[in-house]
Amino acid sequence: MSKTCFEKTQPGQHAYSMSRSDSEFDCFLPPLRLLRKNELMLPEMSEIDITRHFCELAAKNVGIDNEFYPLGSCTMKFNPRVNEQCSALPGFSSGHPLAPEEMVQGNLQIIFELVEMLCALCGMEAGSLLPCAGAHGEYTGIKMISAYHSSRGDHQRSEILIPDDAHGTNPATASMAGYRAISIHTNVKGEVDLDHLRQMASERTAALMLTNPNTLGLFNSQIRDIAEIIHGQGGMLYYDGANLNAILNVVKPGEMGFDVMHLNLHKTFSTPHGGGGPGSGPVLCNEKLAKFLPIPRVEKDGNHFKMSWKDVSSIGQICSFHGNFAIYLRAYLYAKLHGNYGLRRIAENAVLNANYLKSKLIQFFTIPYSQSCMHEFVIQADNYLDKGIKALDIAKRLLDYGMHAPTIYFPLIVKECMLVEPTEVESKATLDQFVEAMAAIIEEIQQDPELVRTAPHKTPVSRLDEVLAAKKPILKAQLK
Amino acid sequence: MRFTETHEWIDVKENVGVVGVSAFAQKELGDIVYVELPKVGREVKKGQEAAVLESTKAAADVYSPASGKIIEVNATLNQKPELVNTSSEGEGWLFKLQLSDPQELTGLLDKQAYQANLKDSGFSP
Amino acid sequence: MDFISNQKAQVNAMLEAIGAGSIEELFASIPQNLKHRAPHRDDGLSESEGVILMEEIAAKNTFSSYESYLGAGAYEHYLPAVIGFICSKSEFLTAYTPYQPEASQGMLQATFEFQSAICALTGMDVSNASLYDGATACAEAMLMALRYQKERNKVVIASSLHPHYFSVVKQFLSSHGTLIERIPFDKDGSLDRAKAEALIDDQTSAVLLPYPSFFGVIDEIKQISAKAKACGSLMVVCANPLVYGLYASAEEIGADIAVGDIQPLGLPLQFGGPYCGYMACRQDLVRQMPGRIVGETIDAEGKRGFVLTLQAREQHIRREKATSNICTNQALAALASLVCMLWYGRQGLRELALTNYQRTAYLRHRLGQLPGVVLMGNAPFFNEFALSFGYSGAEAFEHFRHRGIEPGLDLGKYYPEFNGYLLVAVTETKTKGMLDRYIQVASELMVRK
Repeated sequence: MSKTCFEKTQPGQHAYSMSRSDSEFDCFLPPLRLLRKNELMLPEMSEIDITRHFCELAAKNVGIDNEFYPLGSCTMKFNPRVNEQCSALPGFSSGHPLAPEEMVQGNLQIIFELVEMLCALCGMEAGSLLPCAGAHGEYTGIKMISAYHSSRGDHQRSEILIPDDAHGTNPATASMAGYRAISIHTNVKGEVDLDHLRQMASERTAALMLTNPNTLGLFNSQIRDIAEIIHGQGGMLYYDGANLNAILNVVKPGEMGFDVMHLNLHKTFSTPHGGGGPGSGPVLCNEKLAKFLPIPRVEKDGNHFKMSWKDVSSIGQICSFHGNFAIYLRAYLYAKLHGNYGLRRIAENAVLNANYLKSKLIQFFTIPYSQSCMHEFVIQADNYLDKGIKALDIAKRLLDYGMHAPTIYFPLIVKECMLVEPTEVESKATLDQFVEAMAAIIEEIQQDPELVRTAPHKTPVSRLDEVLAAKKPILKAQLK
Repeated sequence: MRFTETHEWIDVKENVGVVGVSAFAQKELGDIVYVELPKVGREVKKGQEAAVLESTKAAADVYSPASGKIIEVNATLNQKPELVNTSSEGEGWLFKLQLSDPQELTGLLDKQAYQANLKDSGFSP
Repeated sequence: MDFISNQKAQVNAMLEAIGAGSIEELFASIPQNLKHRAPHRDDGLSESEGVILMEEIAAKNTFSSYESYLGAGAYEHYLPAVIGFICSKSEFLTAYTPYQPEASQGMLQATFEFQSAICALTGMDVSNASLYDGATACAEAMLMALRYQKERNKVVIASSLHPHYFSVVKQFLSSHGTLIERIPFDKDGSLDRAKAEALIDDQTSAVLLPYPSFFGVIDEIKQISAKAKACGSLMVVCANPLVYGLYASAEEIGADIAVGDIQPLGLPLQFGGPYCGYMACRQDLVRQMPGRIVGETIDAEGKRGFVLTLQAREQHIRREKATSNICTNQALAALASLVCMLWYGRQGLRELALTNYQRTAYLRHRLGQLPGVVLMGNAPFFNEFALSFGYSGAEAFEHFRHRGIEPGLDLGKYYPEFNGYLLVAVTETKTKGMLDRYIQVASELMVRK
């Protein structure tokens, strides 16, 4: 049974070494009454035991380096090691965020040029890298919209319109920013229901948040109409850039009519997911909103870069310093390596891979939307319910075949759905292997459904009791 | 016992209504892991959110079927939230309401009408 | 270059299987007038060209050639080699969020251990799996307090909280119309306790105090906590986590929520990020806590395992009623921090905290002895102190920089009342030789006056 590091503690053992102190330091001690009285109950382990512990944990985890990871909405693509190598250059890793400008010109150049590249790519005028994740970027963009309306004396905008297939962060962001989230229907074709949109858009509408292609992997071709409806009511259009991988250098959000957007460097720009983070969610906007961007900003003056911390129109600071800087290094290099030519190839191959996989899976699953998909697509596993098999069970059985399952039960509007996103990097051979695994599982459903219903069987643990975890939460190790 | 379209039930005796969720609702939610009960003494209006039921995969608002004052909550659910699943229309009751406007009850469905509604929407009650 | 695997042969085979004549056809749903043509010239770089480019840009940074005494929320500490090695393992670096727990036990268990370590450090009951940074952690704590007691809409915050952190808190509270009262500090940088207690009342949702403050001062938090408790307000302490290796834990000083940035324990300076916010709280507040949380459970065979739990708080389930919109967090940075905390262990962390304190105290004491140097005051401190050499403007800074030392932060830029003061941070990376050199350079500066 797995032991936590707290259970591996051995009194007196340690890994650390401390640099030589000096007798002249010894006389300094803080006031006794302020000192910690309770024991600091961290484990005591030697370095070999620490190392073994984490190697053991790594053996019970999988990343994109280990297996195919077609998680829809996540864009799990290869994380180039050259990115890792370059972001660790001492010239980059040792910079203090409050260092004088003259001493960090290289860092400022990275920030300035990355913003420039992203703006050109997305058809936007200005931007900020400060948001630490997509959700943080959404919040920033919505607050900028809020500031825009306020600056025009328009204080009646209290609603944000959000399609019902949107990622949960969208309505959560609306609430955090002080708005009511209003849900807009998706029609049977998988696109925004324009009639419902016209009905709900009003002078109370601050903005519409939209992903295009949407979370079903479909491009909303009526985007111009949508823009007209919202702008016609004086509202703004927010672009959730989670699905940018499908349209790099094919279409630009700014040209679709969007006023402000975020994108996810840990999706489109290959920065590693790290088991859940850190990511980065830069926000980009048009001229109308540029002055509301958060601070600090980086500006260029001839060949010199400077930081600007003061702007009365800015929504202010949204994080401690400059955001997740080391993530920008990876995205910057990734963009430079590809160039505009390579970025376009990403979109083309992402869409090709998705359509190929879809054409192969159609024999096993209902495909609710018949039109061509973009970089991801939805399949329904509802035709196996009579055998007691749900999407969840198929996902778990895939783990036994050495593949990570696609996203399940999102978007919420499709029953027993799986959202599949292969990304552009995967080879046809890998995609064919995935199809073979699915075929084998479908066969198992016919012959031995119990095997699938109780999967996974080959992972370090079998299906975990999430009900127990929520009912009787144990959220930390016993501290001794 | 009368039902709302949003799957709550209310059982009234002497102007006090016991409120819970229907068997259908608990089945849809799955295993309930936590119940957020309202504070005793709180005034609620008909249709207002009064409680929250949490499963591992969802959180559902419970809307009060009528207006009034919360006079008692089912504290047993703090230790045994699963009662909402095993006895949704009995021991799994959520709270008791002192009604302020008994007329509101006439708009609610009786058991037959509620179950007929479910059938029409394609569900089995 | 790119990282695409398929070549022409595979592309053709795939198009045939799809029944499309070209990749172009797959983009048919996009209106023609929005589509761009593909670039014909390959403007990318080879891997080696990319490396050269990055090295050139890195070389433009001259900061690392200075011995730096900058702190102010980001501290230079020694990073044990084992951290980088573990965090660059494929299975951690390239993994996604553990939504399929059976295939993610490694990361889930590591996160559970991180949560446990934060609880050990702060003395609190439960911790989450990380937030973006210390500033957003403070903001989330304020929002948490407001949710906990919906009838109250006022917070009381120390004026000596990191100015950037305060800006972020203000930004997050701006959508909620919350009244923000600020506790003033005295000339010695410590909080005015009487004024603090006067501001806290039965309308106060939360009191937010730094530990140490932006000036490096350790305030009498325990006493202020008592007033907060008496008024039914939550107490939020924002701390440099290393402080807990020496000074009283958050629990001991009466905190209900402990937040801060874990950066000093395991993360390089990296020009400001990725850092890693931490949040821990009392047991009964757990359902209001934002962010992911890992819990322990068992599998179908009764074997112990770990899962993301209490997910009904989060955006993917609760949507507009979620505790926060946070999805992606700082998972890998939290792992780095866990490894660091284990490398030091319970004994090492205490020694580390003490040596940081002592080196700071040594420099402060010796500088204070130089004629003309004015220390900000005599309040207890940790890792940082403020002093004035009696110069305004850049002169003092220029003097130190000519000698290869970045002497500290220009405090006057943040607090005009402290114009001419520097905020100096000392960590275990400063040997006695370095500290004596600082003193030498400072004494030359004073002689010039």
